[in-house]
Amino acid sequence: MGNYTFQWRQALRALPQMLDGALVTMQIAILSMLIGVTIAVFLAVMRNSKSRWLRAPATAWVEVARNTPALFQIYMAHFGLGSFGIYLSPYVALLAGIAFNNAGYLCETFRGSLRAIPSTQLRAGRSLGMGPATAFRLIVMPQMFRIAFLPTMNQMVWAILMTSLGVTVGMSTDLTGVTQDLNARSFRTFEFFALAALIYYLITKVVMLGARLLAWRLFRY
Amino acid sequence: MKFRHFAGGLIAATIAAGPALADKLDDIIASGKLRCSVVLDFPPMGSRDADNNPIGFDVDYCNDLAAALGVDAEIVETPFPDRIPALVSGRVDVGVASTSDTLERARTAGFTIPYFAFTNVVLTKEDSGIDSYESLAEHTVGSVAGTYEGIQLEDDIKAWDKGGSFRPYQSQADVFLALAQGQIDATVVTSTVASSIVSGGKYEGLTIAGDAPYLPDYVGLIALRQEYGLLNYLDLFINQQVRTGRYEELYAKWLSGPAPDLTIDKAYR
Repeated sequence: MGNYTFQWRQALRALPQMLDGALVTMQIAILSMLIGVTIAVFLAVMRNSKSRWLRAPATAWVEVARNTPALFQIYMAHFGLGSFGIYLSPYVALLAGIAFNNAGYLCETFRGSLRAIPSTQLRAGRSLGMGPATAFRLIVMPQMFRIAFLPTMNQMVWAILMTSLGVTVGMSTDLTGVTQDLNARSFRTFEFFALAALIYYLITKVVMLGARLLAWRLFRY
Repeated sequence: MKFRHFAGGLIAATIAAGPALADKLDDIIASGKLRCSVVLDFPPMGSRDADNNPIGFDVDYCNDLAAALGVDAEIVETPFPDRIPALVSGRVDVGVASTSDTLERARTAGFTIPYFAFTNVVLTKEDSGIDSYESLAEHTVGSVAGTYEGIQLEDDIKAWDKGGSFRPYQSQADVFLALAQGQIDATVVTSTVASSIVSGGKYEGLTIAGDAPYLPDYVGLIALRQEYGLLNYLDLFINQQVRTGRYEELYAKWLSGPAPDLTIDKAYR
């Protein structure tokens, strides 16, 4: 590296563009988590169900989502579905791929959390006259989210970092896409990628801080 | 005692200064090996044959250069985005990698005089209704990220602002896949690649819909910006390739038609 002169000013001039990209990255990560968490709750309930017809699709989802690379899942959402005439734009394909992955991982997290909640909790709710769905929603789910909170935030960080895979399906507006474009135009590879790495680091730190604050408000007894 | 310190210091300084005086050109000659970065998913400039050996115009060009230097050539496969990191990290000595010589890039890398020039065409599907470059304005188009034509197309789509969008893909293969599936309506590629893909028959129904009105895409060899000795040698080498007819010969071997002119009217270099 002794023969390379870093030109930070040139990279810093592009910072507004990169921050725009960072916003898109955060947007995709947050949306993918909202979708992922919603689907994961259903998958977790399905996997705990006694019916084979509910268990099988949930198990299949979890097996594929957890045991294949995220890159493959995103690529399939774009080019795989494309070969059947279903066209997802790079943005939607990336979001779908990460949400699919999130749902698979979070399902297992939630299932583990459900196990940690004594069944007496549900029965106590039922004895107060709640229906099974109401008891699950009001008694079990809040406890489940509390137990699963830290692993869920882990997945959130993972979702932020996975957005960088969008470039493989033609994504150009997220942080990695913007960085790659800047690099191709100027060849200032090291400056731009170092800056991008720093921004990713800061995004995850900010998200984790936000999550801590949220947890402090939501989960105190 | 004093003299011995002085003499010892002088010797040490000479030894320490020795390697620093030798430039990259010396290093290449001394090592007996020239390492070229070549992009091997960009036929006919670089690709692999059935036995996985690197072949193509750029590969031959590197071999010629190594022969001129009296050393052995080593082809280092380098994807487009890795060309500068490969140079800076010292993995390669020279980039023989169809690198467009933009002024913005020249602020970072050292470019030679052009050794090749591309023209670009619009590649689309037969039923897309696209018949010219301007008609791309309302369409979803794509190209390989970070290429000369990709950057121009992206800028034009943004400037037109008529509802079209641009998607940068990671490889030429992904662009053709997206085009064949209908994910994108058209792409702009070098005429050489376009004609080989249309006649290749791997993707059905693709057609060339006119030229892209870009300036010719002149490409140079790249080396570290401060290696003047090497860059000078490379300039002379390119000149000799044209002068001796080897450029025409290689062009005829890998492509067809007249080899593009590498000089610019009314200007030096």
